[in-house]
Amino acid sequence: MSRRYDSRTTIFSPEGRLYQVEYAMEAIGHAGTCLGILASDGILLAAERRTTNKLLDEVSYSEKIYKLHDDMATSVAGITSDANVLINELRLIAQRYLLTYQEPMPCEQLVSTLCDIKQAYTQFGGKRPFGVSLLYMGWDKHYGYQLYQSDPSGNYSGWKATCIGNNSAAAVSMLKQEFKEEGLGLSEAKRLAIRVLSKTLDMTKLTCEKVEIAVLSRVDDKTKITILANEEVTELIKEFEAKEEENKKAEEKKKQPSK
Amino acid sequence: MECLIGVQGKDFVLVAADSSNARSIVRMKEDHDKMVPISDNVVMLTSGDVGDCLQFSEYIAKNLQLYKMRNGYELSPEAAANFTRRNLAESLRSRNAYQVNLLLAGYDEKTGPSLYYMDYLASMNKLPFAVHGYGSFFSLSIFDRYYTPDVTKEEAYELLNKCVQEIQKRFLVNMPRFKVRMISKDGIKDMPDLVGKI
Amino acid sequence: MAGGAADCSYWERFLAKQCRVYELRNKERISVAAASKLLANIVYGYKGYGLSMGTMICGWDKKGPGLYYVDSDGTRLTNHIFSVGSGATYAYGVMDSGYKWDMSVEEAIQLGRRSIYHATHRDAYSGGVVNLYHMKETGWEKISQDDTVKLHYQYQDEKLGKGH
Repeated sequence: MSRRYDSRTTIFSPEGRLYQVEYAMEAIGHAGTCLGILASDGILLAAERRTTNKLLDEVSYSEKIYKLHDDMATSVAGITSDANVLINELRLIAQRYLLTYQEPMPCEQLVSTLCDIKQAYTQFGGKRPFGVSLLYMGWDKHYGYQLYQSDPSGNYSGWKATCIGNNSAAAVSMLKQEFKEEGLGLSEAKRLAIRVLSKTLDMTKLTCEKVEIAVLSRVDDKTKITILANEEVTELIKEFEAKEEENKKAEEKKKQPSK
Repeated sequence: MECLIGVQGKDFVLVAADSSNARSIVRMKEDHDKMVPISDNVVMLTSGDVGDCLQFSEYIAKNLQLYKMRNGYELSPEAAANFTRRNLAESLRSRNAYQVNLLLAGYDEKTGPSLYYMDYLASMNKLPFAVHGYGSFFSLSIFDRYYTPDVTKEEAYELLNKCVQEIQKRFLVNMPRFKVRMISKDGIKDMPDLVGKI
Repeated sequence: MAGGAADCSYWERFLAKQCRVYELRNKERISVAAASKLLANIVYGYKGYGLSMGTMICGWDKKGPGLYYVDSDGTRLTNHIFSVGSGATYAYGVMDSGYKWDMSVEEAIQLGRRSIYHATHRDAYSGGVVNLYHMKETGWEKISQDDTVKLHYQYQDEKLGKGH
């Protein structure tokens, strides 16, 4: 039924919908999960790695998290080839700003400039929208640490903690439950990220090959972006599993006396 | 035959510009204002081609206003200076380059006062004091001799007066009046004009 | 108008058209400041293409009387007195020495006519007739049109104390 309104992105369906844009969002719903948490002393991005194969040559250390400029990094969910184009565009926009003003581009400006491009692909003929949602983490002198999310329609929004990709709705509701009103520290955020990912990723055991975590913080008035080493991720997972085991035992103990 | 002067202190910048507007050998106006406030806390002083001066400073001012409207915050004086320099540099290799020399004086809540010196070839320097035009031959040595980074507002005004007096005494061309402005945390303030001793 | 006669008459006619369109669109007359800026922006757009114009735009608006100088370099100034053209320096000489802020209309008329006459006398490229207009709140009024030769003898006679 909707076939007539599918062929071009610029055409509304009689219900007032843009099918191609909705399909793009759908594609992202199946993509590897990414989550971001804003902490008081930094930000964190965590992403699920899907292409894990022993035969695969390790081309890049990081698969889903990219540095955009000195003060910003992003993680992607969606079609990787589309994402590469957008990452390239983001880096160009940021460098152009730096060239004009000799200072790093403020976070929201970069996000909104890219969203202008994304929006154009939902309107002008003969084009398909980018099948990519992005999570951005960054710091600027105006608003400090910031976390943004953008989607194929060209919409973007700022968050304290959010998630995109497969099973993101469950992750977001879990974050909503666990996120404290007064905020949390970076180490606490790391633990929370592992906890949420292990519950939302459909796999029995979390491993450091399956998850990638990047952290942004300010050290000596300079932004530091680091991708956590496998050892640290393994340590976090271990810590989480130990706690989980403890909880299980405690639960069982509670149940037994009542019997 | 125009003169722009600027001095920076600990928490202010003081700028002065002669108020003559000349065309060929004629002074068309004797109370001309060569300063344009390009944002709430940045002033641009221009000399050179009269048409270009106004057109260029207005263009930069409107762009800074647009930036503020789009983003909800102002560009820092440093970023504004770099933006201005970039525009001059891009214009330089065009068919109709802006023939504008300028001083930019600004105050930033975080980084304090700053003074930038630019010429139409798009060179830029951040300086504690700067002078454009023939006036520089007479006044730079005065600054070298008397300037200290902790100069007070009153001392800076007196220092400007010294320069103006010297220019009016030794320079062949008559510059009877200088407009003076102060840029500080309180924004841009008019100061009494500097005039020669009679 | 001074400079290229064709440039001046064409662009001032163009400006008049623009001002009329403004009036039709806004049901209000354009201000002197805006009208002069319009011309300044036009000539600035043609900078480097060889336009040669030195003009004065005067009129009345909400702010009272307005006087602007606009030339083909893109310069636009406002002041109490202006003189434009090759003989401008000569006219300035007479005008500056006789000008007072609170002079009467009649005094201003006399001074204006005299200034132009002396400019035409000294400047090789100026001459012919002296046209004099008075810009009032209600519109312009032509005051006089005198042959410079006639003015020459009139002023000479006055100097020598001969009545006519």
